[in-house]
Amino acid sequence: MQSEQEFSKAEKFWMNFKLYQLWRFIVLNIKVYTIAVQSKWR
Amino acid sequence: MAKVLVIGAGFAGHTAALYLGNKIGRQHEITVISNRDVFGYVPSWVWVGVGHMKPERTIFKLKPVYDRMNIKFVHAAAKEIHPDIGNQYVLGEEVGTGREIRLDYDYLVIAPGPLLNFAGTPGLGPENGYTHSICSLPHAIKAREAYLALCDRMKKGDKVKIVIGTGHPGATCQGAAFEYIVNVHKDLLKKGLRDKADILWLSNEPALGDFGVNGVQIKRNGIVQKSDEFIKSVFNDHGIRYQVQTGVTKVEEGKIHWQNYEGEEGTTEFDFSMLIPQFKGQPFKYIGNDGSDISSKLVNPAGFVLVDGKYGLSYPELSQTPEAWPAQYQNPSYSNIFAAGIAFAPPGPISKPFTNKNNVAIAPAPPRTGMVSGVIGRVVAMNIVDLIKTGRMTHSERMSEMVAACVASMGDSLWDGNAVTIVMHPVVPDRKKYKNEFGRDLFISHLEMGVSGAWMKFMLHYTFIWKFKAQLGWKLIPE
Ligand SMILES: Cc1cc2nc3c(=O)[nH]c(=O)nc-3n(C[C@H](O)[C@H](O)[C@H](O)COP(=O)(O)OP(=O)(O)OC[C@H]3O[C@@H](n4cnc5c(N)ncnc54)[C@H](O)[C@@H]3O)c2cc1C
Repeated sequence: MQSEQEFSKAEKFWMNFKLYQLWRFIVLNIKVYTIAVQSKWR
Repeated sequence: MAKVLVIGAGFAGHTAALYLGNKIGRQHEITVISNRDVFGYVPSWVWVGVGHMKPERTIFKLKPVYDRMNIKFVHAAAKEIHPDIGNQYVLGEEVGTGREIRLDYDYLVIAPGPLLNFAGTPGLGPENGYTHSICSLPHAIKAREAYLALCDRMKKGDKVKIVIGTGHPGATCQGAAFEYIVNVHKDLLKKGLRDKADILWLSNEPALGDFGVNGVQIKRNGIVQKSDEFIKSVFNDHGIRYQVQTGVTKVEEGKIHWQNYEGEEGTTEFDFSMLIPQFKGQPFKYIGNDGSDISSKLVNPAGFVLVDGKYGLSYPELSQTPEAWPAQYQNPSYSNIFAAGIAFAPPGPISKPFTNKNNVAIAPAPPRTGMVSGVIGRVVAMNIVDLIKTGRMTHSERMSEMVAACVASMGDSLWDGNAVTIVMHPVVPDRKKYKNEFGRDLFISHLEMGVSGAWMKFMLHYTFIWKFKAQLGWKLIPE
């Protein structure tokens, strides 16, 4: 059975709020870069 | 002077070749044999498949890059591998002339990606079947033509059924299919045609959002979020129906036949379908000095190259043994042969396998994503450099130590595009190191939807093509 689970209005707002998304973009890049660069030292 | 031969110029082989050329290309002979003379940036084929990116923007010629990097390029398809000491060479067939080519080697990297096994599911695939694929550039172009023709039908008022997912009970690469389905949804929305299409996700995953890696879990504000709930929200939000725990067994014109966990058999109708086939290893011949078939020393029954993994563990044992995953991708019988990318044989599945009462194993194979393939290519290259210079390998990285990032875009607009960004660390859960039920680093792992994902996807496309062209600073860009 398919549940009725959906994103809330607030969640959708944050998904499209460009300033917040810029922040998430920076966080994501830092996370991935730091962990991926560690891989280069192995 | 040592001779290093790399078979395949994809994420794994090309990465290996660049590092080899960079480190030892001037002193030693580095050769790449590839059946295509271009590098293909595979992740962007999703956009090709919906008509959002021109195919030529996803490829570039290999030879000019290799000329700069001191790498010889041979445009041929490898056919036979002769690995016995004293007489080690690969036989290939030159593209265009059909001429036989012999390439001797001291070190061999096998990285030819997957054989797309459409034959494993009767009626599957764009060549001899009824479904489409985005796993090669010609396939993505064909999928685009069929999809755009379908849009024309919808514009005339036709209501259509679209089915996207996996086309074999043991298929992998669910991430690519997921990205395709959400791109189709977004494209139809933009064209004002979404109400004309019933879209179904049909997959062999044990649960939504499994992606062949046992799902993705993150911790946010102290709460653990899981990909099954997240992807369910995405599908519900987009009005995409879903059916998991299902293995496609046969396709006929307009009809997909399947079996599920319960052993039930069923049929789903479609007007357009993109289903990922089973992946197998490339069907090379492995021939000993006496002319005998020595495949069993090099590959598993599916044709994937055996390396330094611990094979034969049961799923419960394997899921508690992260060190069973290979670290150096070296063949145990031939220490100068390595495999990288999709070509290496994983020790088993990451997702929980399931066999139904009819003895059909419905179990996603473990994905070896672009990032994973690139990292393995680098590890293998650096170890070959080590062996040539010092005789001792110093590099290793298991999939139970690697990070993988996948961005499943929905549309390609930087303003109102959207994407699900998925980061998992490690790809294969390590329950010894990470003391939670998922065996993952819940801080680094990331699962989020938003327009920033669309920016990320664009950035990845351009930075990776920059890197693969070995432009200034390419080594600073992680695999
Ligand atoms: C549509 C799609 C989207 C994807 N999106 C993502 C993503 O967003 N992120 C991600 O991390 N991964 C993604 N992946 C997965 C990723 O593309 C693969 O993991 C990666 O391409 C595997 O690299 P590889 O080098 O093993 O194989 P490939 O990239 O397939 O390269 C193999 C190369 O070997 C050559 N070759 C084949 N046979 C021979 C032969 N006989 N002789 C010589 N050469 C040969 C081929 O022409 C090819 O150039 C996606 C996959 C698909 C299909």
